[in-house]
Amino acid sequence: MKSPTLSIDALNKVVAALPEDNLATSRRAALDQFRQDGMPGGREENWKYTDLSEAVAIANRWLEAGAEIPRAGVAAVDDIVRAIDADWIVIDNGQIDTQAVDGTAIAGVEIKHLSSSAEQLTPSGRLGDLNAALLRDGLRISIAASTELARPIGILIVDHADSAATVSQIRVDIDVAANSSAGFIEYHVSNGDAELYANSVVNVTLGDGSRADYVRIQDRDRAHEQTGYQSVTVGRDAELRHCAFDFGGRMVRNDLVIDLANPGGNAEFAGLYLIGDGQHIDNHTRTDHRTGPTESHQEYRGILTGKARGVWNGKAIVHKGADGTDAEQANHNLVLSRNAEIDAKPELEIYADDVKCSHGTTIGQLDETALFYLRTRGLSQHDAKQVLTRAFAQAIVGKAPISSLHDFLADRIAGRLDQLMQETDA
Amino acid sequence: MLEVKDLKASIGGTEILRGLSLRVDAGEVHAIMGPNGSGKSTLAQVIAGHSDYDVTDGTVAFRGKNLLELEPEERAREGIFLGFQYPVEIPGVNNAYLLKAAVNAKRKHQGLDEIDAFEFLKLAREKMALLDMDPKLLNRGVNEGFSGGEKKRNEILQMAMLEPSLAILDETDSGLDIDALRAVAEGVNALRAPNRAIVLVTHYQRLLDYIEPDHVHVLSEGRIARSGDKSLALELEEKGYDWVRKAANG
Repeated sequence: MKSPTLSIDALNKVVAALPEDNLATSRRAALDQFRQDGMPGGREENWKYTDLSEAVAIANRWLEAGAEIPRAGVAAVDDIVRAIDADWIVIDNGQIDTQAVDGTAIAGVEIKHLSSSAEQLTPSGRLGDLNAALLRDGLRISIAASTELARPIGILIVDHADSAATVSQIRVDIDVAANSSAGFIEYHVSNGDAELYANSVVNVTLGDGSRADYVRIQDRDRAHEQTGYQSVTVGRDAELRHCAFDFGGRMVRNDLVIDLANPGGNAEFAGLYLIGDGQHIDNHTRTDHRTGPTESHQEYRGILTGKARGVWNGKAIVHKGADGTDAEQANHNLVLSRNAEIDAKPELEIYADDVKCSHGTTIGQLDETALFYLRTRGLSQHDAKQVLTRAFAQAIVGKAPISSLHDFLADRIAGRLDQLMQETDA
Repeated sequence: MLEVKDLKASIGGTEILRGLSLRVDAGEVHAIMGPNGSGKSTLAQVIAGHSDYDVTDGTVAFRGKNLLELEPEERAREGIFLGFQYPVEIPGVNNAYLLKAAVNAKRKHQGLDEIDAFEFLKLAREKMALLDMDPKLLNRGVNEGFSGGEKKRNEILQMAMLEPSLAILDETDSGLDIDALRAVAEGVNALRAPNRAIVLVTHYQRLLDYIEPDHVHVLSEGRIARSGDKSLALELEEKGYDWVRKAANG
């Protein structure tokens, strides 16, 4: 398998036509870098199971057709905004609803357009370069020091592809200053019958003694493709609580990169992928313990039906001198069909002496004894399966650090599960 | 109420029940005793509908219906309850949720509306008090982290809520201390009724000091080797299972 190739000529032309705003320098630098490095994929170990060639094909068709960006429909958005209590900002096919941003006044929070910020974009990997090169606008959200947000900030990313192949680039920088605590909901949806590839980059910096509660929900159309890169730099005695849910998408690749470079840094993160026929969801996490004492605990769970394909790769690197590291990773999969496939790989690289590290991976089916038990209590086989599967998912829902989302997530999971079980008659 | 005739059942090709016949009428309490491997639990599992067991011969009728044609959930809704020897821990499924789902599955089958939430809670708390159960257990995962005694009480709680016509309690006494045994027995005795039958599957006579059976059967090698009244259990306690085995073979 070769790395898929993006049409550089078309990319050059599209990037050159973008406005000479504050992002122009970053765009050019990213374009130069991207021209050197190209797309990830091919023989690379990190991309072994995930093929970006369809996303690249969509991008080529879009670039060659002049890189038009349609405005998204907001119908799907209203429901979410109504159901979840948060201060919402909408990113619509990578464009930002200016009015909402400029009109959003939350004490201790500053929200800015990246296009009007003088700061250069942080390099964020090869897909991050593609993102930066094509970026029209993004958001920078800054939480002032010693601020405690009462409501989470919701970032609703909605993409729409109605009549032609569409690509959107989403970029959000989040800065939580020292001794603050804030909740964030990053919610991806997409709609429309045409092809779509969305590429998002979110870089989070947590100041000393701060805390971020972060929930990411990806519920895109099942024909659409997405790559998402998120980095989190954790300050001294700072805490990250992160939980990611993947329901939609045809090809989805998530990279979560956590940097624990300061003593007392702590990251608890979890994820759930609930997927069916034709879906390929790849979660790669990387945690760098650069010093001690630092802690990371992760648990991802997958529920796979039909011909779903899941990938989980959890990498923890304990660098030289990072004594007092506690790193734990777990991945559990419930495979409800014969044709689903999961590739699960925990990876620990340890270069320090005094560390506590563990990992565990399981792949299994529903417990027959528990199924029988429930049926002897009068539950139908279908209901018994539903109940047990929801319970499996519930362990992750319970870890979502914004508890006002728990009921919403449980409902979404029940609804999706019902749909998937009907499709596969599982 | 329950009529088992010449029942033969096997698991993985090994025959466990070898022509067992048993008749249980409404209002009766039967105790089924026997050494390990005699087929006591198999009988309970086959009546409840466990798919690991193949019924190769014989019939099981419940109120005139052919039970062997029904799925486990249909048997439950018809009024059969199996109390498990090893109640299953189901983390993430709320105990109250299961109780309610079970009650409603049965009510739906009977053409009744779902139980009112307030009514349900009141009833559950009442039954729990009778079983001397911590009300907090209602909001825990099903049997999750329960002690042995709590698990068995939880089985009896389910039975009390479901009010089955036929309750089969598989080794309900195993692993119980004397207080738990008393509480469980009290719960069972409270459910004795003219329209209900209870089958106690047990290895030891001890349980029968607290729940007095009308009939006692001793299983040996997949058949009922001996039947009698409660004095049979005492005789058995005294002479041991070898006595039955020898008598059956001799």
